[in-house]
Amino acid sequence: MFPLLYSLYLSFFAVDILSGTFKFIGIANYVNLFSDGDFLTALKNTTIFVVGTIPFTTILALIAALAVNARLPGASFFKPALVMPSITSMVVMALIFTHLYSPNGYVGALLNLCGIPVPENGLLLSEKTALTSIMVMDILIAFGYYMLLYLAALQNIPRNLYEAAELDGAGAWEKFRYVTLPHLKPITLFILVINTIRSFQIFVEIFVMTKGGPLNSTLTAVYFVYDVGFVKFDMGYASAAAYILFIIIALFSALQMKYFGGREART
Amino acid sequence: MKHYPPHIKITLFIALLFMSLLAIAPLYYMLSGSLQEGKTFDAIDIIPDSLSLKGYSFIFSSSRMLRYIFNSLVASISVVIGNLILSTIVGYGFARYRFPGKEILFASVLAVMMIPPHVIIIPLYRLINFLGWYDSYAALIIPWLINPLGVFLMRQYISSLPPEIEDAARVDGAGDLYIVFRIIMPLAKPALAVLAFQVFLTNWNWFLYPFILTSSDSMRTLPVALALLKGYQSIDYQQMFSASTISALPVIILFMIFQRRIISGLTAGALKS
Repeated sequence: MFPLLYSLYLSFFAVDILSGTFKFIGIANYVNLFSDGDFLTALKNTTIFVVGTIPFTTILALIAALAVNARLPGASFFKPALVMPSITSMVVMALIFTHLYSPNGYVGALLNLCGIPVPENGLLLSEKTALTSIMVMDILIAFGYYMLLYLAALQNIPRNLYEAAELDGAGAWEKFRYVTLPHLKPITLFILVINTIRSFQIFVEIFVMTKGGPLNSTLTAVYFVYDVGFVKFDMGYASAAAYILFIIIALFSALQMKYFGGREART
Repeated sequence: MKHYPPHIKITLFIALLFMSLLAIAPLYYMLSGSLQEGKTFDAIDIIPDSLSLKGYSFIFSSSRMLRYIFNSLVASISVVIGNLILSTIVGYGFARYRFPGKEILFASVLAVMMIPPHVIIIPLYRLINFLGWYDSYAALIIPWLINPLGVFLMRQYISSLPPEIEDAARVDGAGDLYIVFRIIMPLAKPALAVLAFQVFLTNWNWFLYPFILTSSDSMRTLPVALALLKGYQSIDYQQMFSASTISALPVIILFMIFQRRIISGLTAGALKS
């Protein structure tokens, strides 16, 4: 708990880089942040990132888990293959994708093949495509891990429920709808919450691939905090920005628990 | 679940095949890139026409690269050992003892779990500086020796163990530490395996904190070094992809070995929270 309080304390100060002194300035940092175009852009990009990736990540994870759990041939190959990107260092994945997204990289070539126009200077150097490219990468990397969580939950559903449903004449769809889905509600909530907390803090990809550019189009909240705090060394201002991000994350998690949790989730 | 109609099975199989290939393609690209000599930025072949191990031999003969790998290993392994011991001790305390304020204390452990780590970089950075640990192994190891998730996981697991064995040992005069190390830890192996994997995974791959808390080249961990490598103009892609492969391999191998355990452990850990 200490860092949180200290962070709050710091956020009320202006830090002078040359002398290293602190000056109490009250809530001025917060006031300035809300008129700081960079910070607002960072919040906007972060929100787009979170809202634009999580539904896809979750659905892909669920489909993959159902498929792996269906005892299809080759499942022992598929499961580790799906998980590998999510347990590999994000730095490594970002380096690989920097290549794949480069002007003559394979992703661009593939898109061209499908008739989709690709910016000439590469997907990461165009402000229109940079953020989307990083989002697509994040979905591809992350869903395998959440698939594991779904898989664990699927294997925990008592088999006799399916047998009972079969006796009642339920088909595949009914079994899925009335037995599987309700049992997956708690794990879905868990996945949504941890993925939201993770995604709001997106940083490594940005640092390795674009450094927030081009033209701030991939500037995210944590990258903003890093840039202000550790490149420009204005730690008070950065703390205030971090604190706002913390409150946003807390609100999001609370909302998810309220709307998605409900009573059934506690069973 | 096993009785899907055939057309659904075929659809699922195709979806699975497609997703797996998509997931594995970037890693294959990395491996392939690490085996091709003298390639420039965009010219890595999908299927290498000739294999070269020069990238790997460079890494294992470069003292800087070996230092990065060594740093990563030292930090990750120390943190894993710390977590295994400390989480078991604290988890045991929460599982077996009653003391005033226990509920509040445990609730605050859970609350800390919800604090996004990247949001507290500045206070942590200042704390590490204040303690004089900046740019040292202490900064890479000490703050991470225990984490709330581990305490939570161990408390849950130890609560589910029957207390009779401990009681018997206590009658024979065993102390708390003896019980934790000789009785609880062997019994809690499945939970400890999951914890060890999770902690190793996090620390081995970690970027932001090792990056912020160290500055000299000799203290860099492998992911930090790799991320900074990209900034150099004269970068050799074969070497970069070889180092990437070396960074990716340990966790992939560990996952393959402990798959079954990790998945069943996730069930125990994740579902209860």
